[in-house]
Amino acid sequence: MWDLFKSEALRFRAWTAAVAAVHLMGLMFMTRMEDLAQQRDFVHTAFGGLYAGLGLLLALYQMGTHRKASQWLNLLHRPLPRVRIAAALTSAGVLQLVVAVILPLLLVAILQQATTARVVDLRHWMLPLSALLVTSCAYLAGAFCVLRGPRYVIAALPLLWWLPTSNAYGFGMLAVELLALIWFALLLLEAFRPDLSAPPRGAGAIATALPLQMGVYALIMVLFVGMELVWIAQGSHPNNTATPPAGGHTEIEHADPRTRVMAGLEGSHYPDVLRLKERVQNSDPRAMPIPMPLPRLPQRNELSNFRLPEFNDERRHVRWVFSHDDMRLHGFSLADGSGRGTLGIGAANAPFPAIVAPAWTRQGMAGEDLLLTAGDTLYQLVLETLQVIPRLRVEAGEVVVAVSPVGEGIGVMSDRALYFYGGKPLLEGHELLAPRMRVPMPGKMGDLRNLDLIKLDEGYLAAFVYSARSASPVGTVPFQILLRTHADGRIETINRRALRFDYPALFRYRAWWISPALYAVRAAARDLFAPPLPLDVTEPAPIPRSMWWLAAVLSLLSLAGAVWRTAGTSLSPPARLAWLTACGLMGLPALASLWLMVPIAERSARDAIKA
Amino acid sequence: MARSKALMIQISTGDTRPIGRQIVDAVRMKIATGDLEAGDQLPSVRGLAQQLMVNPNTVAKAYAELTTEGWLDSRQGLGLYVATLRQRLSDAEREHRLDEAVQRFVNDVIPLDYTPKQVQERLAVELRALQPRKSA
Amino acid sequence: MEGEHVIETRALTRRYGRKLALDHLDLAIPRGRIHAIVGANGAGKSTLFRILLGFLAPTSGESRILGRDSQRLTPGDRGRIGFVNEEHTLPRWMRVSAVTAMQRHQYARWNQQIFDEVVGHYHVLPEQKVSELSRGERAGFNLALALAQSPELLVLDEPTLGLDVVAKRAFLESLLYSNVTDQCAVIYCSHQMEEVERVADNLIILERGQLKNMSAPDEFRARVTHWVADVPFKGPDPRTVPGLLEVQRLDGLHHYLVLDQSADFEAFLRASGAKNVQSMPVTLDRAVNAFLAKNHAAPAAA
Repeated sequence: MWDLFKSEALRFRAWTAAVAAVHLMGLMFMTRMEDLAQQRDFVHTAFGGLYAGLGLLLALYQMGTHRKASQWLNLLHRPLPRVRIAAALTSAGVLQLVVAVILPLLLVAILQQATTARVVDLRHWMLPLSALLVTSCAYLAGAFCVLRGPRYVIAALPLLWWLPTSNAYGFGMLAVELLALIWFALLLLEAFRPDLSAPPRGAGAIATALPLQMGVYALIMVLFVGMELVWIAQGSHPNNTATPPAGGHTEIEHADPRTRVMAGLEGSHYPDVLRLKERVQNSDPRAMPIPMPLPRLPQRNELSNFRLPEFNDERRHVRWVFSHDDMRLHGFSLADGSGRGTLGIGAANAPFPAIVAPAWTRQGMAGEDLLLTAGDTLYQLVLETLQVIPRLRVEAGEVVVAVSPVGEGIGVMSDRALYFYGGKPLLEGHELLAPRMRVPMPGKMGDLRNLDLIKLDEGYLAAFVYSARSASPVGTVPFQILLRTHADGRIETINRRALRFDYPALFRYRAWWISPALYAVRAAARDLFAPPLPLDVTEPAPIPRSMWWLAAVLSLLSLAGAVWRTAGTSLSPPARLAWLTACGLMGLPALASLWLMVPIAERSARDAIKA
Repeated sequence: MARSKALMIQISTGDTRPIGRQIVDAVRMKIATGDLEAGDQLPSVRGLAQQLMVNPNTVAKAYAELTTEGWLDSRQGLGLYVATLRQRLSDAEREHRLDEAVQRFVNDVIPLDYTPKQVQERLAVELRALQPRKSA
Repeated sequence: MEGEHVIETRALTRRYGRKLALDHLDLAIPRGRIHAIVGANGAGKSTLFRILLGFLAPTSGESRILGRDSQRLTPGDRGRIGFVNEEHTLPRWMRVSAVTAMQRHQYARWNQQIFDEVVGHYHVLPEQKVSELSRGERAGFNLALALAQSPELLVLDEPTLGLDVVAKRAFLESLLYSNVTDQCAVIYCSHQMEEVERVADNLIILERGQLKNMSAPDEFRARVTHWVADVPFKGPDPRTVPGLLEVQRLDGLHHYLVLDQSADFEAFLRASGAKNVQSMPVTLDRAVNAFLAKNHAAPAAA
């Protein structure tokens, strides 16, 4: 086995050295201009894609040369167990990737740590490890596809696609990558047989079938996207018609704030409604700038950055970067890169309790002072004294999401409540403010589409529209609700009216009725090892019975198809039973995977006997 | 002990006679014409097979046939030697074989339309060519 | 554990779409000896070997090699079977010394002496890369590697195809005269009857995936005879000619190549109007080619 490993490892040494050199030079060049560690997540994802591409190319070439019939025979017809042969080949391949991809990254990280004042946290040391896992996954995926055949790309892609679409971060992300790697290793091992055309058996078949079904499911989803485009082009798509359907949520979403609030007052039984209507007509509602789509919030020890944890102090030419290791801001000069100390909360430089990022809005603050958010608190960085002081705090466990001026004060929206603060104390003072009013949200953050605020003579009027995810299975039944606050702390519901679904159930649940089981698997995979993100909560509407019936009918069709199809194959009874169960449970994608995986070997034999 | 004598025979593939038969015929011819004398050692099975570039089994079978017919002697541990000339066949057998050979010869020659005298003369020439080298 | 046969197949069938590469093949090759397998392209030889070595699954039927099920060969089994194919596939990027070292480590019964003896016939240097060897040198090297494994069964699939005369001769010599072939059975696949005639103890003819003949080469050759007759006009309908393999009309005379016909065939020809009838034996080459010719009517005698 050693001989095989050595010969394969040496085979690529020239190319590996060349790629490593080019990679290193590229990184050194880039790192002069940018801190490669402090990049947005899509940048790191792009790098991951590049490394995956490298792994894939290596696999295509290495396995492609071995796969030819006479080469394969020469490789496998030996007194060496096939597991060892596979291990020798793949470890040689991974070694090339370590040298070409990981070593340059490590080297640059070490240089950055040793020679600059830039922040290099533990999470950054995990980035090369993540890169190794990603490139190895792509490598094994490529090897698997080369050996099994092009149709199994449908199985490999979902597993690979899992990596950039997972909600996991930090160590959780590493765990997901490791899991995918192990899965690919098992798939490759199953495929690494003398008879390459033999279909997978037993546990290997299950390991191959599930991603294959996900792949078919994904293809169907792509097909639906295409159909949606046709629908849009055809002109009757609710989101794209000139006038949205009456009474539905799209109409409300597209309206301007005043019309929206006025519509919200329709059908209200509130005693004072007429005066309210008049008030609203004459006022200028402020729409809370709800970030769409909801941002992913920075998490402790995330590998990449959902939000850039850095900002510049232009006056002193200092850049401040947040470090997850000691939970403080580290500054370094923009001129010469030298360190300029750390910054915590208050005079004691206490560590921040949550990840800090610059606030996405500066509304409400005067001067050049910077606003920073960290979890449940909004901080002000007083540039004069270079001190960070907390100014606004929402209830523990909540997260500040958006801020909007309303009247002379400001409204601060967290994921669970709406807070109102006086404007003057906020702008001019330096103390921690208590809110004038706390209004618990009447719905879940993930469903919130619009929030409009009007300052009344005493108190506020808040109009909520909950319909953000109503075109998907997780969304709530759309509704609009108007609340009124009073100076004495009372909160009154002025009106609550249901809005119609603009999209038919067939469209809303298109990701679900194809295969409820795969829908659940996909959701579970996306959230595996990922702590729940507080902004992503919704209150799903109950699944209509028509959708249950549809799913059941498709399952039965799939089962019938499976019965017919497996009749002509040489499957053993337990295997046949397993397939029938899968087709019944997972629906049509399982039938497609059956079609792709199990050949009808005996069909011609049957015909021959008949003839 | 004599070293093995060179066996100058050829075989050709693409002949209607099988290779084994060609070897047998060739060895018999060599013995008959005196190129191989009684007591000469023949090349080993492997050696001849290598010389002719054929399967050693074929050579082994040819040698076995020659030994059975009495042309060769197998001496234990030493190899194969040309057998001393002696009567290998009974008189009746010799007579029978001569008859057959003559019949075949006559059948083959008749269509050629030579006169019996010409045929006889020709035959005489051939037999004479063989004669002096045959030791009694 | 092993039976008497090195290779055994029972009703072995392999189908590609509508084409039958192997058609209920029943084959039993005994131990020892050199067995030649002959057949036209597409007769199923490569398919047979791939199934025997477990690199392809049959559509139906069984195949056993060295007494073991082909689809379940263990690494130990593989160590006893040597395989040399016509491309002499070796990793092109490796050096000769590295390939040799790998073989030496992997095969328990490696015989360095045999290796040196065989490879010595070819101008192969240890530091050369496989890609630098000529085809003949690669063939010789490959053979040396296979023979030095001391296999119990050695399968060669058209090993001299594409080799020049010198290389071919060297290859055959190495094969025939290494002591290894005394202990192991050799399966030799070839198109070239000249080689087959020299080398084979047993002649196996495959055609269209079926076994058509298994006997000593000469026995087979003797079954085919060449008849020449002056049959008038067009002569008898080819479909009525018993055992017909091939018929040609040259210079007004009919030439028949027939299988398993005795002197009674002469009577048949005379009955068809021939006045002059002659027969002669054929060469092995001619016999096999005629047998494999597409329009032969009679199935092989058992």
